[in-house]
Amino acid sequence: MALEPRLATYIAARMPHASDIAVEDLSRISGGASRETYRFRLLWTQDGARQERKLILRRDPPASLIDTERRIEFEAYRAFRGSAVPVPEMLWLEEEDAVLDHPFFIAEEIAGFQASPQLLFGPPYVETLAKLGERKWTILAEIAKADPAAIGLTEVMPAVAADACWDRELSYWEGVLDEDESEPLPIIRAAIRWLRANPPPPAQKVGVVHGDYRTGNFLYDEVGGIHGILDWEMAHLGDPLEDLGWSFNPVWSFGAGMAGGLLPREQAIAIWERASGLKADPAALHWWELFNCVKGQAIWVSSARAWLDGGNREPIMVYPPWALLNAQDRAALIVMGRL
Amino acid sequence: MTPSVPAVLAEIAGLAIRNTMPDVHPADRASSLGLSALLLSMAAEVWDGTAARLVEENRAVRALLARAGEVGLDFAALAAGDDADLRISSLQAGNDALRAALITLHAAAEAKGAALEADIWAELVASTERRKMAASPV
Repeated sequence: MALEPRLATYIAARMPHASDIAVEDLSRISGGASRETYRFRLLWTQDGARQERKLILRRDPPASLIDTERRIEFEAYRAFRGSAVPVPEMLWLEEEDAVLDHPFFIAEEIAGFQASPQLLFGPPYVETLAKLGERKWTILAEIAKADPAAIGLTEVMPAVAADACWDRELSYWEGVLDEDESEPLPIIRAAIRWLRANPPPPAQKVGVVHGDYRTGNFLYDEVGGIHGILDWEMAHLGDPLEDLGWSFNPVWSFGAGMAGGLLPREQAIAIWERASGLKADPAALHWWELFNCVKGQAIWVSSARAWLDGGNREPIMVYPPWALLNAQDRAALIVMGRL
Repeated sequence: MTPSVPAVLAEIAGLAIRNTMPDVHPADRASSLGLSALLLSMAAEVWDGTAARLVEENRAVRALLARAGEVGLDFAALAAGDDADLRISSLQAGNDALRAALITLHAAAEAKGAALEADIWAELVASTERRKMAASPV
């Protein structure tokens, strides 16, 4: 059965005061390799009036390039709703397969804005890059400033000690590489040896880490505003420098030679430090930048693995390993000062 | 490249056939066709040079493995190999075996502070230049 009627049936059970519920204009948003994302219009009648709302469906694919807890992602969005970190409203979470074959959630669509990084480098957006960068790293600072306990995230995210953040993350992603790599990766293995031999200092605070904070994962307008931070599926507790390091991963420069394609790296650091009240210790940040090259490579390798094992033969699973595996190696060389 | 180009092309062929069916949702069809086109263009870019790149790289890594004695290792058998079978799948299998040994050699060279380490890094940098695609972000 098509998705639309199944979706309408599910929603109807959650809107007891609504009638004549319909799902229309369902269309898939291309580009997501970790979730299938669709936008649609929900129409219903309530109190005698016909109503409409634009919504997003995020559904797990048969196999993904990352294995994450749907509930953690859902709760991360909810935790930041109404804060200085703009996020869409979460509506319903379904963790069972029965309804739409795989777990999913439904959220409001923040409509009318762009997410594609490629559009940024042409008019009219190219004129707004500095302002967009200011907003991007200011919002990241707000995430870093947040008290995870106060916003309820310590109830759903596993705890970690300040001096254990680095080892937990490195061990996890090294394990992913061990399990999923289909070809030897001498550059990334050398990076791992260096990271283990030169651990960073304990985190200055254990905060919320978005986990995929990069250009391409926020909704922007034509004047440098950001209206939604997306893709929280890798959110966890940890060292806030982890997110800063991921935002500086050279693969997210889009060939523009600047952090996130937006700003000089030092300028982005200054914005983040000023807005967060935290320090980006150069040696610690360097560790996290190199770690994020390992993490990135693990994600691209996992995408290839999901395809090779037949769990997900969508073309989107091939694009990351083909386009980014060598680029991520080169990024690691840059961070290590060897390129 | 992994997954291999022939395997991906075969999958894209099947996808193209499925997309001719009228019951495919237009959104899914648009998504899969757009991405398929992107992958086809990348396959076209690497088609001509892949065998030459693998042969060049395999020679370079064998030369490094032949020096394993400098750090107390022995990769003589691997270093003595050749690329007589020029099928890309065969060259790639050889490349995987050589680069797996290179990881061991590199770790040993680091531990001993050997001069070999700099030459290994030089080859690793060169390997990323060989593999670099036109649209690479880095």
